[in-house]
Amino acid sequence: MLAKRIIPCLDMKNGRVVKGINFKGLRDVGDPPQLAMEYERQGADEITFLDISASLEARQTMLDIVSETAKNLTIPLAVGGGIRSAQDMRDALNSGADKVSVNSAAVSDPGIITECAKDFGKQCVIVAIDGKKVGDRWEVFTHGGTRPTGIDAVEWAQKVQDLGAGEILLTSMDADGVKTGYDIPLTAAVADAVDIPVIASGGCGSKEHIAEVFQQTGASAALAASIFHYNECTVAEVKEFLKDRGIVVR
Amino acid sequence: MPLKVTVTDYGVGNLYSICRSLERCGAEVEVVSDMSRIADAECIVFPGVGAFDRTMRKLLPYREEIVSKLESGTPALGICIGMQILFEGSDEGTSPGIGFYPGRVRPMDAEVLPHMGWNEVVTSDPLFDGVDDRMFYFVHSYRGCPDDPGLCIGTTEYEGKEFASFFRKGNAYGTQFHPEKSSATGRKVLQNFISFAEGLV
Repeated sequence: MLAKRIIPCLDMKNGRVVKGINFKGLRDVGDPPQLAMEYERQGADEITFLDISASLEARQTMLDIVSETAKNLTIPLAVGGGIRSAQDMRDALNSGADKVSVNSAAVSDPGIITECAKDFGKQCVIVAIDGKKVGDRWEVFTHGGTRPTGIDAVEWAQKVQDLGAGEILLTSMDADGVKTGYDIPLTAAVADAVDIPVIASGGCGSKEHIAEVFQQTGASAALAASIFHYNECTVAEVKEFLKDRGIVVR
Repeated sequence: MPLKVTVTDYGVGNLYSICRSLERCGAEVEVVSDMSRIADAECIVFPGVGAFDRTMRKLLPYREEIVSKLESGTPALGICIGMQILFEGSDEGTSPGIGFYPGRVRPMDAEVLPHMGWNEVVTSDPLFDGVDDRMFYFVHSYRGCPDDPGLCIGTTEYEGKEFASFFRKGNAYGTQFHPEKSSATGRKVLQNFISFAEGLV
């Protein structure tokens, strides 16, 4: 039976790992390749690097870190943040990433999803969706959660699936950084609407939250950052906890 | 003398992980993009990146040589698409496959695809000796369907249905999972494969 995946996320700025609170107020928590190896040792199923720096110099730093990490990591590595073109995607894959996630660029040019899926296979293409509750629906925001698009998040998820996305990384803007749990209604709505795997993200503050998102939604994976970075619990502890609740993990 | 492993480069995707993983097992890795060099290989690894037709493009002119090379008992390992191309053809594309494994590659019968993540492989093949947990990383939407059920030496369950995830004909192994992405468990299987190949050459 397919195991639910636990994915530590390393938010990075200028080559260092940071974690934002509601995407603001950053704090440095360490060196990416080292952290990635530690998480593999703890039993992480996959690692995600999210580059939140804006400059072009930082992009090269990011690629260097990806190749340094990929030298020793033997679990899948996904890379996102600042991917603007198929070329950016190719660069990340050639540096050793297994998957690349695209967010704002997919909204402004949805054709990039199809192009990348055709070139690299859809399993390499993650579309990241940042959703925020607006009225009685969730709206897609881009550019690090700063720009509303007017697009419905559930409809967008279906559309990116049709365009060739292999997976959706779904972040709740409302829940992100506040550690009160994943956005269950949003995650359930998106996971029910698509037939590709959905990674739940944003809001994880405890192992209970991870159990909750697997018990109450169709999410295939849960992404978390701060609970791991600040040594609140290890990946192994989370898995033990999930196993005790009958959730299949590796 | 370390075992020399020939890794085929189809010109799509990076071969970083598989090459590093094989080197870590003590093998000497040679990456070839000229497929005629398969004829001289001591041991062949067909890595697992790309789509069926693009992967076959470079291999197609050497189909017969590859088949006779495998028939002659050269140890080989095909991973994911590198396993699928050993079949006669695939519903994913229009190109013929190598045709060493009789049978065809068909779509997975499942609701959520790709089948992505860690899943269990049930097998009693010696390649899994000393492997305690049997969870491996998968990412695929197609599966190998051999004509002869004896070709399938391991299975995996997804969405309540079983599919063939591990194959062997002669000394040519095929895995639907990615040992090079499966942490310590995958490392052990690759080590066992290298030992197996060393025993043959």
